[in-house]
Amino acid sequence: MPGGAAVLPPTPGILISDGESNMHDANETFIIPIGPQHPALKEPGHFQFSVDGEVVTGASVRLGYVHRGIEKATEARNWVQNLYLLERICGICSHIHAMAYCLGVERLAGVEVPPRAQAIRVLTAELERVHSHLLWLGVAAHEAGFDTLFMYSWRDRETVMDALENLSGNRVHYSVNVLGGVKYDVDEPRAQAIFAVVDFLEERTRHYLNVVSSDAMFVQRTRGIGVTSKEQSLRLGEIGPTARAAGVPRDVRVEAPYAAYGAYPVEIILETAGDLEARFIVRINELFESYRLIRAILGDLPEGPLTVQRMPRKIPAGETISRVEAPRGELFYFIKSNGTDRPERIKVRTPTLCNLASVVALAPGHHLADIPMLLVGVDPCFSCNDRGVILDYPDGEHDHWTWDKLRQFAIDHYRNR
Amino acid sequence: MMNLDTAWQTALDRVKTWARVNSPWLLHYNTGSCNGCDIEILATLTPRFDLERFGVKLQGSPRHADILVCTGPVTLQSRDRLLRIYEQMPEPKFVAAIGSCAISGGVFQGCYNIVGHIDEVIPVDVYVPGCPPRPEAIADGIIKLLHSLQVAEAGRGTE
Amino acid sequence: MDVEKDLMIAESLLEIHAPSFNHPEPHRLDVEIETGDLLDGARVLVNSGWGYLSAVTGLDLGVEAGEFEVLYHFCAREAVTTLRVRVPRVGGVVPSLFQVIPSAGFYERELAEMFGITVEGAPDSSRLFLPDAWPEGVYPLRKDYEISDSGN
Repeated sequence: MPGGAAVLPPTPGILISDGESNMHDANETFIIPIGPQHPALKEPGHFQFSVDGEVVTGASVRLGYVHRGIEKATEARNWVQNLYLLERICGICSHIHAMAYCLGVERLAGVEVPPRAQAIRVLTAELERVHSHLLWLGVAAHEAGFDTLFMYSWRDRETVMDALENLSGNRVHYSVNVLGGVKYDVDEPRAQAIFAVVDFLEERTRHYLNVVSSDAMFVQRTRGIGVTSKEQSLRLGEIGPTARAAGVPRDVRVEAPYAAYGAYPVEIILETAGDLEARFIVRINELFESYRLIRAILGDLPEGPLTVQRMPRKIPAGETISRVEAPRGELFYFIKSNGTDRPERIKVRTPTLCNLASVVALAPGHHLADIPMLLVGVDPCFSCNDRGVILDYPDGEHDHWTWDKLRQFAIDHYRNR
Repeated sequence: MMNLDTAWQTALDRVKTWARVNSPWLLHYNTGSCNGCDIEILATLTPRFDLERFGVKLQGSPRHADILVCTGPVTLQSRDRLLRIYEQMPEPKFVAAIGSCAISGGVFQGCYNIVGHIDEVIPVDVYVPGCPPRPEAIADGIIKLLHSLQVAEAGRGTE
Repeated sequence: MDVEKDLMIAESLLEIHAPSFNHPEPHRLDVEIETGDLLDGARVLVNSGWGYLSAVTGLDLGVEAGEFEVLYHFCAREAVTTLRVRVPRVGGVVPSLFQVIPSAGFYERELAEMFGITVEGAPDSSRLFLPDAWPEGVYPLRKDYEISDSGN
């Protein structure tokens, strides 16, 4: 066939997508044209594991399915437009991105944001942490085959979505931040509504803690699995709840307080076991700490304006670094201005990138059935429901699985133990 | 301004009627979205909104899907897979583009790694705008599609 | 103050490798360093337990300037120490930090594919974010790679 076409194995993750043993499909061959630039096109699969028997001997990751080219795009937008772009890096932790950006730009501009605005930013950030951790709890439960817990936690999470919508008018992408302050105020009725949400969720969270630490099936999938020592965690450069589960006291809110965290100090949540169970316990305890913070802020909101008097359109030239604690760990922004109304360069290092590096390093030596929980334990970008998994065997053969198949494999493996 | 509760109740009644006839299976695919739309799609299937009790089911195989529920501005890396998934779906098949990014690229217009519109890759039957659209809006979009499906079923004769 | 102490420790660790220091912000230390000394600089920070590599930023100083700058940001509590190296736009090479810092791998892959800087000794130099079909030799974060304005 002209144009360099070749006969290749079927596309991974598509044909064998319903979990049945489709021997027929696995042996089908397709003519797939290969472009001139890539004579040996590697089939895209998010994860590639070398396995010997059922033990993982090597792991690698291929990202890019969600790569949109945002950093480049910031150079073609002005400072205000970028606020709305950067918020949309992530729909789960949109506010923390906007906050990191605003804090950096405000520093370059030399403006001082009023305390009421900073407090509302922190309040929103903690509400966001609550929604994110509850979302994660549901997703993690689903990975382990606990769909009931998934449904309950997402149902409960709706209350905090209501609170965020009450505050900002939107359930997702609340856009509370403006350069120089915040757009929305917290009046007495809103405050009362948020108190009610926190009271309700605190009780529910006690129930989750109980389930996670005492349900036999859950404990079997998490206790003693994926153990990382404190030394290993430091060497891997882990951040966020994953690091804290190994006893590493790393939390930007505590070590480098920003916005209003100086006025509302955070108590760091640590575990020492460093296993998957510890990662669950840390996040659930962080929920309690967030509830406490939310109550503290609402009970002591400073008076004053919501924004600075004037925010310049052109930001003075300079470089700044903005570090904040997103629900998944440290979020790092490097912002460079050339004195115009558009940035020279914005670099965003998301916590997930850092966490993925640690999972990839940790995977070898583990049973394939532990991989889904290991990954979910670092709270990755969850919506890659089409993740393909390539398994490489010592004899050179390989299999292509969907993530669904890997998840079911893990659930069945533990059920049959 | 329409009362959300009334509109929601009307929509649910229509789903109930439709679902007695057929139980649509949805396939959800993210072409590079920020997850905002995806979590609202999932929320539509959780207890508060609970489309599942009407037989609307989210499942994993293109071969069994009636409706492809699609989010994201179509990154270059996800484009081919999107096309292949669509090709694998049996007729009659429908596509719902959920969110501003799926419709126009949203805030990511002009970015180097995106196609920008799902309908430049595959035909789209229903567009649900929003950033993200709320679960009620997503459900409304799906329901409009279900009616199309019902009409298509009626006109198909033996299968 | 803790942060001043942390920065002083970083300075004394890096003195031997660095001709110049700068404090662009009170909690930050910028260290200009030669690519030949980069690995030693990173190693000395890691071996003394000074913080962790949090991010790697590539900067295109412009076609006229003819140089890229690569920033390696190390964070220890509140303090941030940035090792800054300059490389030519054509044929720029930096050493891989992978031996010393395993998690550097992802950051280096991103740097290489976005700017076209070669990372010498990297265990994996395959693409991380750019799609397989992206043409060779096209580096999106370079200033001479132009994109359109936002949808207008």
